[in-house]
Amino acid sequence: MSTQAKDRRAKIQAATPKGRGGANRIVVATVVVVLAIAAIVAAVIVADQGKKADLAAGGSSLPKNASAMGAGLVVNPSAPANVPTLDLWVDFQCPACASFEESFGDQVTQMAKANEVKLVVHVLSFLDNNLGNDSSNRAANAAFCAADQGAFLPYHQAVFAGQPEQEGTGYTDDQLKGFAAKAGITGSALNTWQQCYDGREHNQYVESVQTQSAKDGVNGTPTVKLNGSPLQLQGLTPESLTEQVRAATT
Amino acid sequence: MTALSDHQRAPQQPVALWRRPRTLDLVGLVARLLLGGVMLVAGALKVTKPEVSARAVQAYQLLPFDLATYVGYALPVLEVIIGALLVAGLFTRVSAVVSGVLLVAFVIGIGSAWARGLSIDCGCFGEGGTIDPSATRYLEEILRDVGLVLCAAWLVIRPRTAYSLERTLFAEGR
Repeated sequence: MSTQAKDRRAKIQAATPKGRGGANRIVVATVVVVLAIAAIVAAVIVADQGKKADLAAGGSSLPKNASAMGAGLVVNPSAPANVPTLDLWVDFQCPACASFEESFGDQVTQMAKANEVKLVVHVLSFLDNNLGNDSSNRAANAAFCAADQGAFLPYHQAVFAGQPEQEGTGYTDDQLKGFAAKAGITGSALNTWQQCYDGREHNQYVESVQTQSAKDGVNGTPTVKLNGSPLQLQGLTPESLTEQVRAATT
Repeated sequence: MTALSDHQRAPQQPVALWRRPRTLDLVGLVARLLLGGVMLVAGALKVTKPEVSARAVQAYQLLPFDLATYVGYALPVLEVIIGALLVAGLFTRVSAVVSGVLLVAFVIGIGSAWARGLSIDCGCFGEGGTIDPSATRYLEEILRDVGLVLCAAWLVIRPRTAYSLERTLFAEGR
């Protein structure tokens, strides 16, 4: 009986065309390709929807001294036309930006105050994606609410002075409020700041600056440009910065 | 058993070790695991951060901005799929062709960024974007990708490898 069964199985096997010994290649291939395309399309749609939701969140008002969506914030609009434009791209969570601020912050502030340069600051928030938090976005919102109170630069300095040791720790809402107080925003101005921050009144502007910078090819921070050409930060000294600004002044 | 195989082999020239099918299958296995492993890891590191990947592609400034964004969203998923297929040894030849095409595109992208004087991280394993000019590692990145292209080329020419899922699943070569 068992030998008969064996014989029959052997005959069936011999009669079965080769290549039918396992799963059907075409069926498996179709399943794999369909799943792969579905996964890729789904990933693109989910990411795109997430991005669109981010761009549309919060208020759409421009902070004081920002001329348009995507444009940097002009720290000293009173700068005369003959001085060079110094563009600065920073992310409040970027340690190298804090180092730059420590080395050159006071000098750049002085230059802006003396109208030796037209200082334009582009606050980016891309490190949120790298670090997996939302502190760059919130700190940028907070800084532009401070700009409404005429305290953008002091706020900018307070954030970098208070940047956590460990990149990625981020800022709490209380810390961001503390920076506002440090920047000299008090009393009713602080209430206005808080309202602006809680409502994320400038969030669409924050997102627009990030998008525009990426379109302009600025993908890292800090980036400094003098009249549109990038400044080499390695080896930059206060003296060489002064020298380059002087050379660019007409 | 021993006597039988000795008898069979006796009239033929002994096949050199490096030309035996088993050896070539094992070389294919190494190529498949190397290529697939790198693709899988590179994709997995980026797949949870599509925005970072999008920015890495944008930083090359080769594709139109919006297209670069979508390519950045899609690439990590594609890398994970192709990597997984290669590691498993399923549709090895097709997967090797796709990964080879991707890698050649990456080499062109990195070379072009290098030639245009951009200072970017290749974004191969996450991160990406502008970095300090002294921190660029274009040559290293290109050499790594060329090595992987060679793995892909081997698998396109000789997709048969040891311990592959397709041999088990499709009962081929039995």
